[in-house]
Amino acid sequence: MARSLGFIIVLLAVTSICDAVAIFHPISESHRSAALELFSPAAGSFSGLEEAYEALRTFEVLGIEKPDTKDHTCNSVVDTLSSSSSNLKDLYHSLRVNGLLKCKTSKEALTGTVSRLKGGVKEATTLLDYYYSVGGLLLVKDQSSEVDVLLGNADGILRSIKALSQSDGRWRYSSNNPASSTYAAGVALETLSGVISLAASAIDENLIGTLKNDIVKLFDSIEKYDDGAYYFDDKVIDASGHQGPLSATSAVVRGLTTFASTSGTLNVLYTIPEEKILGLARFFLGVGVPGNSKDLVSVPLILSLPATVLSLTSNDKLKVRVNTVLGSIAPPLSVKLMQVFSSGSKDAPVLKEELKFDPKEAIHTMDALPEGVDIGEYVFAFEIVLSDPEDKRKYATGGRTKVPIHVTGVVGVDNAKLTLLEGDSVESEKKLNLPGKNDVALSANHLQKLHLSFLLTTPLGKPFKPHQALFKLRHETGVEHIFVVGNSGKQFKIALDFLGLVEKFFYLSGQYDIELIVGDAAMENSFLQPLGYVELDLPKVPEKATRPPSQAVDPYLRYGPKAEINHIFRVPEKRPPQEVSFAFLGLVFVPFLVFLIGLLRLGVNLKNFPTSTVPATFAILFHGGIAAVLLLYVFFWLKLDLFTTLKALGVIGIFLMFVGHSTLSHIASVSVKVKSA
Amino acid sequence: MANFSIATVFIASISLLFALSNSFSLENPTDRRILVLVDDLALKSSHSIFFSSLQTRGFELDFKLSDDPKIALQRYGQYLYDGLILFSPTIERFGGSLDVAAILDFVDSGKDLIVAADASASDLIRNIAAECGVDFDEDSSAVVIDHGSYAVSGTEGDHTLIAADDFIQSDVLLGTTKIEAPVLFKGIGHSLNPANSLARNNARVLFSGSLDLFSNKYEIFCSSSNHQCKRQGAQIITCNRYAKSGNQQFVTELSKWVFHERGHLKAVNVRHHRVGETDEPAIYRINDDLEYLVEIYEWSGSSWEPYVANDVQIQFYMMSPYVLKTMSTDKKGLYRTSFKVPDVYGVFQFKVEYQRLGYTSLSLAKQIPVRPFRHNEYERFIPTAFPYYGASFSTMAAFFIFSFVYLYSK
Repeated sequence: MARSLGFIIVLLAVTSICDAVAIFHPISESHRSAALELFSPAAGSFSGLEEAYEALRTFEVLGIEKPDTKDHTCNSVVDTLSSSSSNLKDLYHSLRVNGLLKCKTSKEALTGTVSRLKGGVKEATTLLDYYYSVGGLLLVKDQSSEVDVLLGNADGILRSIKALSQSDGRWRYSSNNPASSTYAAGVALETLSGVISLAASAIDENLIGTLKNDIVKLFDSIEKYDDGAYYFDDKVIDASGHQGPLSATSAVVRGLTTFASTSGTLNVLYTIPEEKILGLARFFLGVGVPGNSKDLVSVPLILSLPATVLSLTSNDKLKVRVNTVLGSIAPPLSVKLMQVFSSGSKDAPVLKEELKFDPKEAIHTMDALPEGVDIGEYVFAFEIVLSDPEDKRKYATGGRTKVPIHVTGVVGVDNAKLTLLEGDSVESEKKLNLPGKNDVALSANHLQKLHLSFLLTTPLGKPFKPHQALFKLRHETGVEHIFVVGNSGKQFKIALDFLGLVEKFFYLSGQYDIELIVGDAAMENSFLQPLGYVELDLPKVPEKATRPPSQAVDPYLRYGPKAEINHIFRVPEKRPPQEVSFAFLGLVFVPFLVFLIGLLRLGVNLKNFPTSTVPATFAILFHGGIAAVLLLYVFFWLKLDLFTTLKALGVIGIFLMFVGHSTLSHIASVSVKVKSA
Repeated sequence: MANFSIATVFIASISLLFALSNSFSLENPTDRRILVLVDDLALKSSHSIFFSSLQTRGFELDFKLSDDPKIALQRYGQYLYDGLILFSPTIERFGGSLDVAAILDFVDSGKDLIVAADASASDLIRNIAAECGVDFDEDSSAVVIDHGSYAVSGTEGDHTLIAADDFIQSDVLLGTTKIEAPVLFKGIGHSLNPANSLARNNARVLFSGSLDLFSNKYEIFCSSSNHQCKRQGAQIITCNRYAKSGNQQFVTELSKWVFHERGHLKAVNVRHHRVGETDEPAIYRINDDLEYLVEIYEWSGSSWEPYVANDVQIQFYMMSPYVLKTMSTDKKGLYRTSFKVPDVYGVFQFKVEYQRLGYTSLSLAKQIPVRPFRHNEYERFIPTAFPYYGASFSTMAAFFIFSFVYLYSK
């Protein structure tokens, strides 16, 4: 059995960084770790026999120590094989796993399996039924020689499979599903070759002839990438899932090669154009799938360059490696550099320079780059010439191979200087060390000019125009101005006349940081260099001037915590110290004391107080009432509110009016009597 | 026939209910079901490490070709997915009912989106980006080039594979593990509208100008970043070599953020009371001392963990903040602070506006009126007034004595 789908998926998953069309990479540690990552058995076992097969096969191909899952997997293999209820697909996958693990299976189980598979072939209606049962029989044939797996009615089976083919070379999965698929074509060819090798009697040659026509038609639907890689694509999405270009192409190639080898019709492959076979090889190399030498008859030779970026400064040599598609060593041959196109040009002189071959490393080298190749982008055209004309039939060279080459080097930066001019007279001039640390500190006003100039030369002394030559001024507030430094030949120059730039600078005076960027893909010493700063003194902003654009807020500041705010409470009114208040309280009582002393001095008495009972009672009640009112005032001060106080005052007032009236009228009548007496 | 259709509807509704119960919710904010739209199903394998990292974290990925006529984001008014990954830069028109408006509605409803473009980005993808405030470079031939910091390669000399190592300093976006190796980027540039920082509904959207950023490629490389290469004069002597680019870690950590496995906050148990009391009053008086408490938790992908930070702030707000205070935390999720109510009365709000880079923005507001002193709440016995009181009472006493003297003295 050929490569598995799982293996392909793994390799697709770990496609390496390079654009691998031109360069072949053997399997590396990263492929292995990725495979282990993809196929990690959960709790000591794989989720199904299909996954188990993919994992085990991948581990085998990549040379990985198998995780210890043999017992568990073997158990399920034996279970599946001896169970009468397992379907064809399960049988097929368990036989595949068995082929890898060599589990202990009894002869009876195998015989039972064979009879079920043969029954499956007879009753099969869909392509996959055929595929699983025929594939299963082939596996049994490989694993045990004691069981009879040969098919009696091979011609009949072939015809019923052939009935599923379409006129365009594709196949259908089943007779009641009209959609045809390229992947199915590969599966069908593989099944057919299985039937042929299992056939008990000879096969009808006519039938094989029609199949060959199908194969040729199938190659009409092949698709092409820009880089010359050919592939088959499958547009149909069905129950078995979508088959990408990789699995479709591999299915076709696998089906084709097994069919060609079992049916003895290798010559069918010669009818396929060489460039398509080479293109298929390119396709597999592009995704990093190494092949198996049975896959292709005319072995394509692949010309690859370990490095397409060459440094002139460190004298990198142009190295070319020629391998077969499969990564094995190519037959004796020579490589010639035919032409060197500089970027953009269509024509170039024919060089026909032969590269030196180093048999130890199997690399063709060119010690020095062709004359006149300076830094920049080129396209080198190579041709492979086979030393032995006999090999021409065995190997496909693919004609002229064009490889884009980047030649890099250190660009000389000289005569760099920053000048400040007023009119035409030089105010100050600073030499710059580029690339390197510079610390320019200038101050200028709007009537002055700033000049920057430097020379750029390639290693061959030619003028060099870099991809980026930018002069940048950045104001303290973050407003940036970028100017392109123009050139005439080697000389790069920029003149900033601040008078004309005032408006562009938004009249922002202050410190401007200066940066110079010179960069190119071919320049090994590309740099972004701060040069220092210039302090600009610009005129005041007129009213109608445009405002500078607002700068993006620093995300860290924008989301940071805000400054705390504390409420400022009203300050309470200023009060004198308590001692002062108490002192005045004491003073306030002085007049009262004086009043008391005065009364005593005057010799007051209570001789007029009524002596008879009734008036005396009224007088006591009257004064008691006054005392109550005064006391009420004290309580009002201490705790009562106005409403309670007024109510109480009303009651006491009416009482007071009554007793007051009788008391006062009594006193009045007594005093009238005294006067009249 | 009728019976059959009823049964079908019933089964359909059960499966729908099941699906709903399994989806994005307030209690379980991590996304569950993600629709992945690709131009070519081969992407499933070329980006398999990214997808399998999502799958192992429990996401259900539904891969569809972007022109599949059966694409639908919602059915019966319910969204079928919690997240959308658009790895289909070239698509001009989605299949099914999906269009720019549908995607924007999806984001507006709080769902998450990852869009990756590359040099072949179509107008459709550009429109989606533009609606979200991201402008991709419109020149179709434009590339991002950095001559200062690029992945040194023997085969690619155009400096378009950029090695970036200046990441945003945010643990919530990029995880706590430092990304050691530079991240490789090859694609187109974009600019972000500075006024547009995050979705107001806490939906998370990721735009990338490089689809390769997410791919399994980019393993061993050598970076030429200025500060990683030792130079002598102009010549590079050694370069840092990395066994693996930081891309895988970078996109995995970012996807954890985008799909709400990190940085999703919730605030619960918001309460306030006077110091020394426990009941929440309906109104505060000026100069009251009050205490405000809130609990904040962060979703860790599987459970709510206490959120610990020292920058959660409370505002006591009426037209403008009167008090803005940083709350203290007990490291178990509880944030508290106490302050004195300002001596200004009116209708105030307790406001917590918590916006941090990468985190869900919390916006809590609770209205509370503040009244002035009642007439009997002022100070009653002011010592400064004692002379006046004394004068009144001595006059009253004198009056009382005088009434006797005047009436009965002879």
